[in-house]
Amino acid sequence: MSFLFGSRSNKTFKPKKNIPEGTHQYDLMKHAAATLGSGNLRLAVVLPEGEDLNEWVAVNTVDFFNQINMLYGTITEFCTETSCPVMSASPKYEYHWADGQTVKKPIKCSAPKYIDYLMTWVQDQLDDETLFPSKIGVPFPKNFLTIAKTILKRLFRVYAHIYHQHFKEVIQLNEEAHLNTSFKHFIFFVEEFHMIERKELAPLQELIMEKLTRKISLSGSFN
Amino acid sequence: EQNEMKVKTYSPQAYKFYIEQHVENVLKYYNQRITRQSQLEKEMAKVGLSDEAQQQMRRMLHQKESNYIRLKRAKMEKHHFTNI
Ligand SMILES: [Zn+2]
Repeated sequence: MSFLFGSRSNKTFKPKKNIPEGTHQYDLMKHAAATLGSGNLRLAVVLPEGEDLNEWVAVNTVDFFNQINMLYGTITEFCTETSCPVMSASPKYEYHWADGQTVKKPIKCSAPKYIDYLMTWVQDQLDDETLFPSKIGVPFPKNFLTIAKTILKRLFRVYAHIYHQHFKEVIQLNEEAHLNTSFKHFIFFVEEFHMIERKELAPLQELIMEKLTRKISLSGSFN
Repeated sequence: EQNEMKVKTYSPQAYKFYIEQHVENVLKYYNQRITRQSQLEKEMAKVGLSDEAQQQMRRMLHQKESNYIRLKRAKMEKHHFTNI
């Protein structure tokens, strides 16, 4: 998969058309580069002292959902019944939709359908007060982490689909640095709390290794 | 069929702005939270509280922090419904 990511990772913010220094656009670009490039996200995912694990996982899960929802929202015109008749991440990985509740038998469907089912399902979970209590003092259910793991596992598939089938468009839209940062944050988080099984991450394993190698070998948790 | 979809369309500009803001906020929050904790420790050391009172102060701070992220989450979910 290195053809997708190759060596461009750190070059993303080289001004492509020589944006003149001193202009507003230049400032914006420099600001974006500084923000996205700062490497503290791995520290920022760690459970803060005294924080409840469920609370921390909940707020981050909602965050990642919003990010992925918006990301997919930028490529909906490219992700169609014709371009993506099946939900896949490379020809090796194909996903069939089932939520285990209302849809038990997996349905083979197009990527836009699948992702619509998926995002709707996640939204329903997040809106369910018995799963994601929003009022102070209301406890999380006992199986909260299992629920959060399922949500994150499914959200990962949207990243996988976009990286494999729509990276060209992501580059066209000039949003690859943002996607990469958002994905890196996501991977730091799921790795920190062991939220997604290794085999589920397989479609982006190379990318994960490539982007995170240095930090991973330091943390030692991902050999 | 496309317009039955619940998934909304966003402009790349909106997405990029959102991610930049978000990353900035995540890092800011991380630093500020550490600062609040260490400020409490400093203040407590200054006034010389008993161990028990210190524990209680820490618990109070942690509870406040925890409530804050719960309310933030409630707000974020609502925010999701408003179009950008
Ligand atoms: Zn697609």
